[in-house]
Amino acid sequence: MRVHHYKLLMFMFWMSSIAFAQQKTISGNVTDDTGLPLPGVNVLVKNTDNGTQTDFDGNYSIDAPRGAVLRFSYVGFATRDIVVGDSNNINVQLETSAADLEEVVVVAYGSQVKKKLVTSISTVSGDDLENIISDSPQNILQGQASGVQVFSSSGGLGASPTINIRGSASITSNTRPLFVIDGVTLGDSFTTFNQGTGAGINPLASINPNDIESISVLKSAAAAALYGSRGANGVVLITTKRGNKNGKVTVDIDINTSFASITDTPDLLNAQQYIDFTTLIRTGTGQGLITDAGGEFDALDAVLRTAISQSYNFSVRGGNEKSNYFIGATREDIEGIRIGDNLERTSFRSNIQVKATDWLTATLNANVSHNRFDRVPNENSFASPYTIAILQRPDVEPFDDQGNFTTAGNVGGGNVIAQEALNLNLATTTRIVANGSLDFNLSSLIDGLSFKQDIGIDRTFTENQQRNIELLTPGGFAANSVFQQNRYILNSLLSYNKTFGDSHNLNLLAGYSFEDNQLRNVQTQGTGFLSDAQLNVESASEFPLTSSSGDATRLVSSLGRLIYDYADGRYIIEGSIRRDGSSRFGANNQFGVFWSAAVGWNISDEAFMQNVEWIQGLKLSASYGTTGNDRIGTTNVFPALGLFAGNNYNGSPGLTPSTLSNPDLQWESTTTRDIGLTAAFFNRRLTFNVEYYNNVTDDLILFVPKDPTFNNGLNGRNENIGELENRGVDVTIEAVIFDGANDGFKWTSSLNLGFNENEVTNLPDGTSVDENGNKFVDRTGGSLAFSGQRAIEGFSVNSWYLIPYLGVNPQTGDAEWLGADGNPTTSPNPADRRIVGQANPDVVGGFSNVFTYKNWSLNTLFNFSFGNDILLTSRAFSENPVSGFNKTTRVLNVWQQPGDQAFIPSPNSPTISTFSQNSTAQLEDGSFVRLKNVTLAYTFSDKYLEKTFINKIRLYATATNLLTFKSDGLDGYDPEVSNGSDGFDAAGQDFFTLPQASTYTFGLNVSF
Amino acid sequence: MKTSINTTNKFSALIILLVTLLTTSCEDKIELLPEDLTVNEVVFSNGALALGAVTGIYNRAQQDDVLNGTLQFSSEWQADNVDFIGTFTTFGEIRDYATLAANTSIFGIWDDNYEVIGAANLVIDNVPLIQDDSFTAEQRTQAIAEARFMRALVYFNIATVFGQPLQIGAGSDNLSVPLVVSSELGQELPRATLGQVYDFVESEFLAIIPDLTDGTRILASPGACRAFLARLYLYQERWDDAANFANDVINDSFYSLATDYTFYDSPDATEHIFTLVNDAVNGQDSGQGFSGLSNPVPGGRGDVPFSQDLLDAYAEEPGDLRFDNLNQTGPGAEGPDRIFTNKFPEDVNNSDDAPVMRVTEMYLTRAEANLRGSTSIGATPLDDINELRNRAGLSDLTSVDLDIILNERRKELAFEGQRRMDLLRNSQSLRRPGQVNEANSAPGADKTIFPIPQAVRDLSPFLDQNPGY
Repeated sequence: MRVHHYKLLMFMFWMSSIAFAQQKTISGNVTDDTGLPLPGVNVLVKNTDNGTQTDFDGNYSIDAPRGAVLRFSYVGFATRDIVVGDSNNINVQLETSAADLEEVVVVAYGSQVKKKLVTSISTVSGDDLENIISDSPQNILQGQASGVQVFSSSGGLGASPTINIRGSASITSNTRPLFVIDGVTLGDSFTTFNQGTGAGINPLASINPNDIESISVLKSAAAAALYGSRGANGVVLITTKRGNKNGKVTVDIDINTSFASITDTPDLLNAQQYIDFTTLIRTGTGQGLITDAGGEFDALDAVLRTAISQSYNFSVRGGNEKSNYFIGATREDIEGIRIGDNLERTSFRSNIQVKATDWLTATLNANVSHNRFDRVPNENSFASPYTIAILQRPDVEPFDDQGNFTTAGNVGGGNVIAQEALNLNLATTTRIVANGSLDFNLSSLIDGLSFKQDIGIDRTFTENQQRNIELLTPGGFAANSVFQQNRYILNSLLSYNKTFGDSHNLNLLAGYSFEDNQLRNVQTQGTGFLSDAQLNVESASEFPLTSSSGDATRLVSSLGRLIYDYADGRYIIEGSIRRDGSSRFGANNQFGVFWSAAVGWNISDEAFMQNVEWIQGLKLSASYGTTGNDRIGTTNVFPALGLFAGNNYNGSPGLTPSTLSNPDLQWESTTTRDIGLTAAFFNRRLTFNVEYYNNVTDDLILFVPKDPTFNNGLNGRNENIGELENRGVDVTIEAVIFDGANDGFKWTSSLNLGFNENEVTNLPDGTSVDENGNKFVDRTGGSLAFSGQRAIEGFSVNSWYLIPYLGVNPQTGDAEWLGADGNPTTSPNPADRRIVGQANPDVVGGFSNVFTYKNWSLNTLFNFSFGNDILLTSRAFSENPVSGFNKTTRVLNVWQQPGDQAFIPSPNSPTISTFSQNSTAQLEDGSFVRLKNVTLAYTFSDKYLEKTFINKIRLYATATNLLTFKSDGLDGYDPEVSNGSDGFDAAGQDFFTLPQASTYTFGLNVSF
Repeated sequence: MKTSINTTNKFSALIILLVTLLTTSCEDKIELLPEDLTVNEVVFSNGALALGAVTGIYNRAQQDDVLNGTLQFSSEWQADNVDFIGTFTTFGEIRDYATLAANTSIFGIWDDNYEVIGAANLVIDNVPLIQDDSFTAEQRTQAIAEARFMRALVYFNIATVFGQPLQIGAGSDNLSVPLVVSSELGQELPRATLGQVYDFVESEFLAIIPDLTDGTRILASPGACRAFLARLYLYQERWDDAANFANDVINDSFYSLATDYTFYDSPDATEHIFTLVNDAVNGQDSGQGFSGLSNPVPGGRGDVPFSQDLLDAYAEEPGDLRFDNLNQTGPGAEGPDRIFTNKFPEDVNNSDDAPVMRVTEMYLTRAEANLRGSTSIGATPLDDINELRNRAGLSDLTSVDLDIILNERRKELAFEGQRRMDLLRNSQSLRRPGQVNEANSAPGADKTIFPIPQAVRDLSPFLDQNPGY
């Protein structure tokens, strides 16, 4: 502090000397590096509001005292500061800014200058990170990188989003990309104790978005080939923040509070409407009438809330040439918008690098996080508040006359309000991700040679404690589940970097990698407690489950890469190779080789382009590569083996068949052809990137369904069959639309689009054949028995295959479906199903605009998706006229007499019972445009802070999911739905998916 | 220069050290085996593991879809005894005679029953091949006989729901289920006729009687074979055979009528001929079995209460202990209180045993067979019925007819999955006049039987579908 006072004093002294200095008029001419005059250059007397612009001939004139600093800035050129001396004439030549070209991008096992990048990589960093409030690394990517589709699976806390890069490249395997944080490949094959649906707790919830410096998304096989058998879904490289090397110490504090509420809910019947409707229907069907429970309760209102959350983030970074550090801590108390959903996150990070000698650099990156998650089961559960609130009879109240909780009349004994108030369901996760490396500079041995030894660990410890009380589970119920994942990763990398002559650059990499992944699982359950105060299984009298299990997987790999470029990247050639051996694959196919080749041509470096002034950077690149996907199911560690499981009877140990063997089983293999064009125009005010890709995935691992009748009761086995193709174009356009002088109004805009077309090109003989002669594979429905989705040869991997619903016939009052013969039918059967849509979008993307004016900045981000269909499976329940549940108000339109345009068929029609069968009645256009993020920030000017020790104060307000434009059919539902998040479940299927929250966040960011 | 050489030496040493360290992690490290599951080839490598595979058959039969309630209740929903008021739309379809081929619960029933058949076929095919001198011929015979018992029992059960009974249409030529009797993968067998399935079931039960050991109620036994044969002969209207086999079982001193109705979860009770022992750890598996569905909220799902018609039937003769001692009132799935059975009251752990075959049925079978065959093998129908009525606290009747016997059978075996076949084989509609869908429940109506599941036919299109699906 004392130091600051001293500096302040010096500063004030300097200021006062300026005030007494004599003003004079400076004039001059500004030219570019070829000597041509530059119009519109901003000329500013630094630390003042005094500024001007050069005219068409590059001339300027400005008043400034001797000793003042003139700042010359212009888009696309390096800014220059010049001190006013004796001369009244200052001519300036600006150099083309290399900032954009010199930007370094993190790539597989290293980094690369952007100009020399020849493979397809999207990056998110800087402002794109600062302005997004996000609870996970996946959500940061939403709408921010072309060709990257991120769908939230639920508005609940900790829900694991679906993320697909360049379409869905698998049918039954996980389509989630590989996540790598500071070189540590993260495990995501561990259980998160799914409760209710396939969408478990986000395995990356422990990664603090505030610690992230940049994210690189490796999209093409050529970019990801060095990750071999795990690269086919793309790879997301996360780099965390580092210390400074300039001797400065920066302390950052960020505090924010947010308010969240649900974006949309369906309208439900009230008690009277429910009784009247049910009576009307049951009179028609002859079912027994129901008794009015006499109450009136808005369950939806009771389970939803305005959630208030707090976040505190603190970090220090500093260092010098010898050593540097980044130390950060975060604490967040987050409330979900549904009752019972609370998350406390605490995490610490320490990144330290020491240059011990001129030949040895040691690095330690460590992250420890602890999440305490008071959770609620997901949607397909009697304990899921949102689901039950929709289904709960509105005439039944959760309390008796004395105000005590009661279970009478609650769906499934649910009383979700009592459950959330009284039961315990707590998941605590501790995760440690750390890596230490020694970097040897071997230049004294061979010039350009270095060796890096890196050891990483990724340890996850998750405990889920559950306790149901007497009222809700007679005798009480307790469960305790512990899951541990211990990963150990070893990377040895030898690299050689050398420039021969003036213009031949050679970069070689050779490496060895070993990964060991241990999974342990302990579960106990107890029932029969004397008192609700006894919390743990210890006090139970019966023990339905006592289990401990474990397994390990291993991967051994060798890898190599060669990059050669000529004339500072005018021509670039790159090739890489990786050989992977995995314990997961069949005895006959344990090793696989993956490779890639890429070429690039920076056309704008050619002599013939030097006179084309409006183009600053023009690069053409092409690549070819192969990668694999080794993730076949999350629970099946040995998918290739035929196995019996331990299953007992009456205390005797027993064995039952569990899987069919396939010794030939291996990874899925994706081959990518990719052509990219990058161009910058008008002094880099407009940049443009377009990439065409064609990904062919073959050896698709399908859980080939087998008829259990003829396969010893087993339902199928994993086989490498089938082929699919993802074709598409990724487009990114960035523009500085308006650039006013002197911190004036500036507007930058960025649009990214990912067009994707997905087609199953081949399924093997013996696959099921549908009514139209097409081969298909049924997609699993996650927690639901029904999916209605198929991968069909010649069509999308996410084709909806349903009976078309026509509506209620106004004359007869019967519900009608379209029969296979083209005529309406009132009794459709499976043969009437057909392809009626697809769940993968034609295009996804984002549109971002940043407006700055003086100290203000406004950041808006829209994300969107077009061309996908969503199946609202929950409507089979919430719009089922013959069920005892509550319903949406859509059902009130019942056919009464000929001529009625009704939603619900006549209560006397036999179709009243079959109305809710799965059909296109539940299928809706899933296209949407969402105002994902709006951030308004004010940064205090230096002049207010000069007198303090503070460097920066930024106030911000962020709104997420402020507006959503979607089809009318999605009224009450969220366009982002996913019943399972692992990619092998049917995509775009809703089952009481909790809609997203709209959140308002107010925050303060201070650094000193 | 000197420092450079030194550094070089240091580097070389380091590199050699590291490379040595690394290359010791060789490629054979990826040769891993599961820690908890057993590889197929190992299971049938010795007697102890093979006997584990036999135990595993009973475990698979404990699935709710097989012997623990889902199949049994699904058949009850088509009939007049019980209501379904729960949330499962697939069960609602069955109740409403609106069943679709895509009904996933019915696929589950098919799938899980064929799991038992598959597990049994593996034992039957592999046990003779095991090279293990300590695995005696006697042990092998017993092991195979137990597998054949479970397989025959499952075929008998699924034949009742996936095809029309003998009394309808083409009779023994009605299409039933594919008769898979070998563990060979990928066979393509058409649906067998009901006659073929019944012949198989009969010959299997008869054949294994000498191979099985007496003295158990919880595993396959000769007495259980005879009891299932009695049921089969009753369905086949072979009255003499039915009466004789039922009589044999009744005369077996190992079995006798329980004095009251507390035997349901007591595997040692003399009432039981075959009961699957469920406990908190191994037993009903889905929450959609006997205990899960038939208990009121909150312990159970409150899905399966008495129908008004069954309540009325008991109410005709007040004091019937089969109602008074075996009912409970509590919240149903739809909200208001309903009356539920108390035969499976363990609603938290779902550990109630499955009453697969009990001696009471033998009395009812003997009575009905004697009445229809005009015989009095073992006892007169009147004596048999009065014995059961006495236990129920009701007075003696002076005469019986078929309706009275069926009515007693209904009240004795309610919630145990017998009612549907008892009505169909006597050519009676499954629903009583005044109940919803009575017309759709007529014998021979399409939806009185289940579809061949769509998921099965998608894979095996050569299996014919039942009419109406």
